[in-house]
Amino acid sequence: MSLSRKTACLAIALLPSFASPFASAQSTKQPSELSWSLKYDPKTLDPAKVDDQASEMVRYLTGGVLLRVNRRTQEIECALASSWSISPDGRIATFHLRKGLRFSDGTPLGSADVAATLKRVLNPATSAPVAQEFLTPKEVVVETPDPLTVTVHLPKRIVSLGKIFDEIAIEPANRNTESRVTSGSFVVDSYKRGESLVLQRNPYYWRHDQAGVQLPYLSSLHLDILSNREQDQLRFLRGQYQVIDSLSAENYNVLAKASASSAHDLGPSLNTEQMWFNQAADAPLPAWEKEWFQSRIFRLAVSQAIHRADLARIAYDGHATPANGFISPANTVWYSRLGHIQEDSNEALKLLGRAGFHKDGEHLVDRNGHLVKFSILTNAGNRPREKMASLIQQDLAVLGMQVNVVMLDFPALIERLMHTQSYEAALLGLSNVDPDPSSMMNVWLSSSPNHQWNPSQKKPATDWEAEIDQLMQLQASTQNEKGRKRAIDRVQQIVFDQQPFIYLVYPNMLYAVSSSLSGVELSVLQPGVVSNIDMIRWNEAKR
Amino acid sequence: MRLTSLTLLVMLVAAAAVTLLRSPIGYAAQDRNHIAEGSTSKHWVGTDDLGRDRGVRVSVALLIGLAGAVSASALAAALSATIGVTAAFAPRAVASLLMYASDLFLTLPWLFLLMMVRSALPLTMAPMESAGVTFLLLALLGWPAYTGISYARALALRNAEWLIHARAGGLRPSQIARYHVLPHLSPLLLSQFLICIPACLVAEANLGTLGLGISEPLPSWGSMLLSLENTSVLAGSAWVFLPIVLLVAILLLLELLVFEA
Amino acid sequence: MRRSAGRVSTRLARVASLVLLAALGTITLMRFAPGYFTDVREVDGKYGNGARAALNIQQEEQGSAITLTTHLLGNWLRGDLGRSRQYDIPVTELIGSRAKVTLRLLLSGMAFGWLLALALALALSARKTAAGEAMIAGPSAILLAIPIAAMATTCLLLNVGGPVLVLTTLIGIRDFKSIYRLLRLTWKSPYLLYARSQGIRSSRITFIYLLPALTAELRALAVTSFVIALSAIVPVEVIFDLPGLGQLAWSAAMNRDLPVLLAVTLLMAACIGLAGMVSTSARTIEVTPCA
Repeated sequence: MSLSRKTACLAIALLPSFASPFASAQSTKQPSELSWSLKYDPKTLDPAKVDDQASEMVRYLTGGVLLRVNRRTQEIECALASSWSISPDGRIATFHLRKGLRFSDGTPLGSADVAATLKRVLNPATSAPVAQEFLTPKEVVVETPDPLTVTVHLPKRIVSLGKIFDEIAIEPANRNTESRVTSGSFVVDSYKRGESLVLQRNPYYWRHDQAGVQLPYLSSLHLDILSNREQDQLRFLRGQYQVIDSLSAENYNVLAKASASSAHDLGPSLNTEQMWFNQAADAPLPAWEKEWFQSRIFRLAVSQAIHRADLARIAYDGHATPANGFISPANTVWYSRLGHIQEDSNEALKLLGRAGFHKDGEHLVDRNGHLVKFSILTNAGNRPREKMASLIQQDLAVLGMQVNVVMLDFPALIERLMHTQSYEAALLGLSNVDPDPSSMMNVWLSSSPNHQWNPSQKKPATDWEAEIDQLMQLQASTQNEKGRKRAIDRVQQIVFDQQPFIYLVYPNMLYAVSSSLSGVELSVLQPGVVSNIDMIRWNEAKR
Repeated sequence: MRLTSLTLLVMLVAAAAVTLLRSPIGYAAQDRNHIAEGSTSKHWVGTDDLGRDRGVRVSVALLIGLAGAVSASALAAALSATIGVTAAFAPRAVASLLMYASDLFLTLPWLFLLMMVRSALPLTMAPMESAGVTFLLLALLGWPAYTGISYARALALRNAEWLIHARAGGLRPSQIARYHVLPHLSPLLLSQFLICIPACLVAEANLGTLGLGISEPLPSWGSMLLSLENTSVLAGSAWVFLPIVLLVAILLLLELLVFEA
Repeated sequence: MRRSAGRVSTRLARVASLVLLAALGTITLMRFAPGYFTDVREVDGKYGNGARAALNIQQEEQGSAITLTTHLLGNWLRGDLGRSRQYDIPVTELIGSRAKVTLRLLLSGMAFGWLLALALALALSARKTAAGEAMIAGPSAILLAIPIAAMATTCLLLNVGGPVLVLTTLIGIRDFKSIYRLLRLTWKSPYLLYARSQGIRSSRITFIYLLPALTAELRALAVTSFVIALSAIVPVEVIFDLPGLGQLAWSAAMNRDLPVLLAVTLLMAACIGLAGMVSTSARTIEVTPCA
């Protein structure tokens, strides 16, 4: 055999050995660890500075809070506090702590620690995002009349005060441990950036089950940092992960085929997918385009031409619900049954005719002869959104509108949407983690930079936006629940009539849960699949 | 062999053109009741995930992709050959500068220039124009990859005895380059040209994330190839492999066409 | 001695200037690309205000592009690579462990790829046969056509091979085609035809005459395959979830994390510059054999 042939054979024989050094980066994990993945690194492990969803997940798992919002019932429950009350004028909140509370390192937890945590959160130097929810954090006063009581004096009544305390994790006084000493169910044990986060059970956790067994049942949690959904699914099917938090629609069916009992579709989430036109007066657009986009008839006609059932069925493989408003049916407290959008292209054309549009051959033109042509921007990498954009493109082609779909990377997209307003239409989703409409103030107030279609207005550009401003301010300041509901119902109706956002679908909440687990309670509120982390245990029969 | 390859290639392209022209279904038409289906009487090679006829879309993608990728690869190969040969026959300082520029070009993150280009172009630019701009950019950014090897080869040829005889015989550098160097360089360049074609297709699809590339509803061959990285696509009908089978066939035919029997 | 020392210092200066220009180019390109002062959380109703406040502070701190450039380069000269905009931790901490992963992957991929390419090219180029040509054309067309990402996903799904196999295949097939063509051309050289007619064995011809004659081209090809491998690293690391520089560089580019991308680009510029330095030194030896 010639030397070259020998070399060739050797090279081919060595091929399989290439697999071993890296094959797949299997992180070392104990068999009794519950594992799943986070899509990206948490930006911080300091519970006071939580500003993104991954960090919120970590805070939920590790932070001991005075009050906890039950993710399934959406009711406020006592946690570290055994009871709490608010004065009739809504300006004094009193919390009574449970006896014998300890941090995970064994040190006692008392009102001094609670007060120190609250003061740190309220301190402007900390820049804690949750401080904003106190409206005027500098004026809040915290007192500790005794080691088990904390009183919080508020300068103004705050609606839904209880929910705010769900986001404040009590830490040891004057010790910032970045979740390595906590009062919640778990404690951060190790963190390797870009790789994994391991949490260990808190041996001094206050909560016990009905039989008196100390919670949580699980000994440790292993969270991998993994952005690749294919890998996530594969590891779940191979048993390396036991849950998938937010499964994508296209992977749902693949997973359901492989393991039907593991895939769960909870129905509509709180999130919305919508399209809107740029109505900013100073947008760098031709005058005739601004006229189209500011016309209610134009927006309504576009809304009527879109077949939402197709979007849900095709773009989401059936795992989405057609939407007509900003409050999803999953938001049982605030949902209002609005009218039905008449999805009919012929009606839409008639409507456009009333505004001076007409078809010139196959193309739609306005009263001045301008071809109705515009672009829809969306972010690349979100496959359902890309499909929706294509479906909408075809729906609007029936009206004679020429639509260009442009997919951009997120920073370039945000620059156009939020900074330069150099876009015509956009298609994006809004993620609503809090069912309370007060959390959406930033979107509905016309002066806000997040008032997407016409941000940062000095004064409301239209009467209906002025009315929305008034209603949102009203519901934020009244304690009367019925009054709040009426205000929000009216806002929903105005939005339905004016279509500044053309709502498309509510994506369904999709999870995967291994049958080796029991006690998992799924909910539409974050953190969804592990919201009942204390009570999750291994299914002894199947482990 | 060459004639057979050429005939088959022409037939393949003609089949795509005929499919496009004769089909009653447009490439953008969505048959929303037949999503991601296999072969049926109406859609002979099935439909994609938006109910569009796969046969028509693959035909259009083939025509656009082939035209674009072949042009871009040819341009990139031509540029790298020109610069490599020029550097080999130029004074040392010029050669040094050209190779330095080539190295610098390789290291810079051109992604951001592409974003700036997208930012400067109108959002309502027609999909075909966007495709044209994308392939042109790929050619203009793809030349440094093989310039080094063109330069090294041309330099070795420059020092070959027979070439020294040609220079002594009075041939001008441009004549030497055209009649002697390029023919010797062509197998290498053709090899590079063939390797670049699938790379251009996939690069065009990747540029879709920046807003360039072939935009909807025009079909992109590169996107069809890239979609094979999703398990949900792989779990569908076997016809999803049609684009890759066609690409293999075309690369094979081109290889047999460009290299002597 | 003095002349070679002079040549080495000239080449090192070349590498240093390349790194400097790469730095300036990277800073300029990223700073003026759309979306530099943006944050994904701006569109979020809950986190938007915080994100905007942080961006305003950054904008004030960084100032103009020139101020930013002088600030970054000044810090580099002092050995401070800055802090990541995404993670707010020192860049050195981020890059250190990841560089090892990527380097191992690159070196293994390139080494095995070249071994494969050379072995196959040597085996098939000596004598052109129809069977040999068929062996080349079919599989190489298939392997060229499959995008790296699809190849990686297939390996993952079938639980066969890994990132090194994918990279080896990528580099192997591309280099094989170029090396094969080079060898085919060179086998036809008159002096090699003469050597073969004299009965000298193919293996002796290959290692004593053929490969040494192609050293410059092979070195240039090595630089090219290094660049190709670098671009393939990103999808490979993302799909196989390897905590390497490729993933980091992509995420830095998409999130406009200038300090991190600058560090990765300069590392690449240094590697390409040094590789170029080795290539030119080889050429010099060949062009002036009597020196």
